[in-house]
Amino acid sequence: MASQSQGVQQLLAAEKKAAERVAEARKRKARRLKQAKDEAQAEIEKFRQERDRQFKEYETKHLGSQDDIALKIKKDTVEKITAMNKQVAANKDKVIVRIMQLVKEIKPELHINAKKEM
Amino acid sequence: MALSDADVQKQIHHMMAFIEQEANEKAEEIDARAEEEFTIEKGRLVQQNRLKIIEYYERKEKQVELQKKIGASNLLNKSRLEVLKAQESHIKNVLYEAQHKLNPISQDHAAYSKLLEDLLCQGLCQVRVSTHILISNTLEARLEMLSEQMLPEIRAMLFGANPNRKFDN
Repeated sequence: MASQSQGVQQLLAAEKKAAERVAEARKRKARRLKQAKDEAQAEIEKFRQERDRQFKEYETKHLGSQDDIALKIKKDTVEKITAMNKQVAANKDKVIVRIMQLVKEIKPELHINAKKEM
Repeated sequence: MALSDADVQKQIHHMMAFIEQEANEKAEEIDARAEEEFTIEKGRLVQQNRLKIIEYYERKEKQVELQKKIGASNLLNKSRLEVLKAQESHIKNVLYEAQHKLNPISQDHAAYSKLLEDLLCQGLCQVRVSTHILISNTLEARLEMLSEQMLPEIRAMLFGANPNRKFDN
């Protein structure tokens, strides 16, 4: 009967529409999940750039202080050596006198083993 | 009795409505799950990568710190070496000048002969112990021989007592 096939057609059409609706929902879900990745990526990148900026600040600060330390050590060394030179200049003659004294001071002594033999 | 056409139509419409309702419910369910998973996934990714980034930069900052410390330590060592070299140089000079002052001594005959007497005496005393001793007792040799022994005293006189020294044997 004509009405039978019409009914079946109506049902088939409804099924088709239903399936499309569900398929669309699935597509939306897939897009939403991709969005999650993209948005996460953007946030992560923003965070990374900020952290990197902080790091560069840190680096610059530390490199700067390194130069200061080098200068200070250099200055200290020069001071030490200058002071040493002054001291030596002041004490040198005294020292040479003492060395000469020791060199000329000869105490002829019998070797300790020789003493035992006697 | 067979159903009338109107009844059949009604049935069909009911069935169609049912199909539509089921599909809508299913779609809603899918949308809700999608939202949930969106939140979870985004949160997970962000958290995971934040941690990685934090660790990474912390390590880099520690390296910078370490490099700085190593650099400073190296510079300090270089400085100490420089000071020690300067000291060594001064001592060499002093001993050198002392060596050169020894020459005039041999000009003073009286003092020099007394010196040689004493040297001979000492040499002989040492000979008693063994016949293999080589007597090399010129003043220069004496200076050389004594310079190591004299070092502590020379250093103390030249540079002042060492505050760090613990043993004074």
